[in-house]
Amino acid sequence: MRKNYDANSDTGSSKAAVLPSTQDSGHRLTLKRRQSLAGWIYIFPAALLIVVMSFYPMIQALILSFKTGVSNNMKWAGVYNYTRLVQDKVFIQALLNTFIYLLIQVPIMLILALILASILNKPSLKCKGLFRTLIFLPCATSLVSYSIIFRTLFAINGYINTVLIHLGILSTGYNFLGHPNSARIVIIIALIWRWTGYNMVFYLSGLQNIDSSVYEAAKLDGASKSQTFWKITVPLLKPMILLTAIMSTNGTLQLFDESVNITSGGPANASITLSHYIYNLSFKYMPNFGYAAAISYVILVIVAVLAFLQMKVGDTRD
Amino acid sequence: MKKVIAMLLTLALTAGLLSGCGQANSNSSAASAATSAPSSTADTASHKLTVWCWDMNFNGAAMNKAAEIYKKTDPNFELEVVDQGDWDTVQTKLSTIASSKDYSQLPDIILIQDNAFQKNYKGYPDVFVDLTNKIDYSKFAEGKTKYSVVDGKNYGVPFDNGAVIYGYRTDILEQAGYTIDQFTNITWSTWLKQAKDVLQKTGKPLLSCQAGSSDIINMMLQSAGASLFDAQGNVNIVNNDVLYKVADTYMQMLKDGTCIECTDWSGYTDSFTSGSVAGTMTGCWIAATIQKAEDQKGKWKITNIPSLDGVKGATNYSNNGGSTWAVTSNCKNVDLAADFFAKTFAGSTDLYDGVANAGVLATYLPAAKSSVYSQPNEFFGGQPIMQIITEYASHVPAINGGAYYYDARDAVCNAIVKIQSGTDAKTAFQEAEDTVNFSMGKN
Repeated sequence: MRKNYDANSDTGSSKAAVLPSTQDSGHRLTLKRRQSLAGWIYIFPAALLIVVMSFYPMIQALILSFKTGVSNNMKWAGVYNYTRLVQDKVFIQALLNTFIYLLIQVPIMLILALILASILNKPSLKCKGLFRTLIFLPCATSLVSYSIIFRTLFAINGYINTVLIHLGILSTGYNFLGHPNSARIVIIIALIWRWTGYNMVFYLSGLQNIDSSVYEAAKLDGASKSQTFWKITVPLLKPMILLTAIMSTNGTLQLFDESVNITSGGPANASITLSHYIYNLSFKYMPNFGYAAAISYVILVIVAVLAFLQMKVGDTRD
Repeated sequence: MKKVIAMLLTLALTAGLLSGCGQANSNSSAASAATSAPSSTADTASHKLTVWCWDMNFNGAAMNKAAEIYKKTDPNFELEVVDQGDWDTVQTKLSTIASSKDYSQLPDIILIQDNAFQKNYKGYPDVFVDLTNKIDYSKFAEGKTKYSVVDGKNYGVPFDNGAVIYGYRTDILEQAGYTIDQFTNITWSTWLKQAKDVLQKTGKPLLSCQAGSSDIINMMLQSAGASLFDAQGNVNIVNNDVLYKVADTYMQMLKDGTCIECTDWSGYTDSFTSGSVAGTMTGCWIAATIQKAEDQKGKWKITNIPSLDGVKGATNYSNNGGSTWAVTSNCKNVDLAADFFAKTFAGSTDLYDGVANAGVLATYLPAAKSSVYSQPNEFFGGQPIMQIITEYASHVPAINGGAYYYDARDAVCNAIVKIQSGTDAKTAFQEAEDTVNFSMGKN
């Protein structure tokens, strides 16, 4: 054994060069090969599972998106579904809604999570554990339960309206879910309530990795709180921000439960999301699985493009 | 010490995990046994049928009662009713199984929502069994049977009655100086006038509905024998004169405040059970929900619905909801299933008598003549509501709801929302028609 290791080290390399040691070089290859083979064997079951359970259905879905027809009567149609997409008014509305949620909800939520994380990271704060738990707790709730509760809260005779009437701001209940803009705002509020805690936990763990000496140095140099936050904390957290941004984008683009349970797609499709539309196309209306598959591929492309852009902008590693 | 604690915690966690796994395994194996039961038991014991439905107090009760009755002639008969929770679950399962083309997971008998019957037949025709000559359909209300008829063949056994009733709070009407007779056999223009009067005098609207998926529009259309589809199955929205009249009436009542919109189903049912709305118009199955408001006992009466003004063929009757039993192609003993239905749902007034208390109302016309059906109902001021409703059912115009019922309904509701915010009616309905044509693949 020792001989083999010597063969790999500098002192032994001359020996290896002098001796036509097929045995030595054979051993070197076999060891490397054995090690990489062991690695492959460990990965293989999981990879096989992913290929069968994820990639194979994805390819089938792609093939499905090139077919059209009702339920089981599918026939080849080339790119018909994709050209149909651009003319579908409901699809365009769903796309618009999804982007509204993306552009408004994700930045607000991430900034809020960042601020909360930095507040809750202060060593001098009491009951930190309690606050962190309270803010994280919404993520542990069921998507359907909390959506239904939000719907009841914002109903015409719901709690929010009762409070607003009591305070004299309104005279009769405002139909939050019956007007397009307010319906979207309700969904955005619900999403912020639910996911801020989740992202906050990521940022907290990122903040733990920042050395306190950096802050001390900044304090000595006379930096203000906001300068410390924007010029030191945020740049150091860049990888974590990138991760949460990609995850949030992915999650928001695939929004479903809130659209179904809070607004049922909103007044005249004003708050419907792409995934909700796919569900309608597959189960509620006359099933057209090819078209639904095409829309799901559109979502895939958008998510991939946005993730790529975010990586380009945010990933400072080589 | 730390090691001991760590060891104890690990043991506790592992024990929990294992017991959890054990539970999950037994649950999943029980579930798989239940789903594989249809194929395995149907093979060996040809005297067993499995049924999928929802609402064990209603549909399940009727099936179990039918099994009791059938066992008298066939003691070896067995029936297994599997509760699926609600219609959406049944629809999703049916779609998934039918798409996979592996029908072995299906039960022998499945309950299908009437509005979805045409859609499911069109999408998955292989799932359904032709029952045309196996059951006597002449004794069923035609308006109801038509839902499960495709190309002249019957694919289902009509079940519960969805005939529309209009329930009024007679005490509120009295307060405003009206009796229920003044709301019987009237037209919508009379209703609008009177309802506005009631609202002014008592502050209570006479109608409520669910925003965005209102069935009122389809109920009004069907009362005049019209539908969102023509006889050939093409969508008929923008040139549908009846629809414009319906939309006008609907928007007028919303504007007047005589009809209020609720955000969801429980909001809608709360509106009349809590007393803030003094009437409701929908399928007769709502009677069970109305009767939950025990403090309103004796203060309700039912009558028929107003008819559309100036429309040829307008009636005071309509239909909303209801379901139909279908026999699936996975059934290994279709003759047994057909005989079962012929002797119970399509042949026994005893069945309908036995479940009348559950609120299950038949579309089987002979049932209306039974004594149970003529019993007065105290909640509704002594009216024999079951008899009345079965009688209404016989007047309901038969229409072609079409396979794209839900697409069209949602498109029209969306159009009405747009009209309410100011869009011109013709433009909005043209958009609705385009959307439905789009879904149907004709653009």
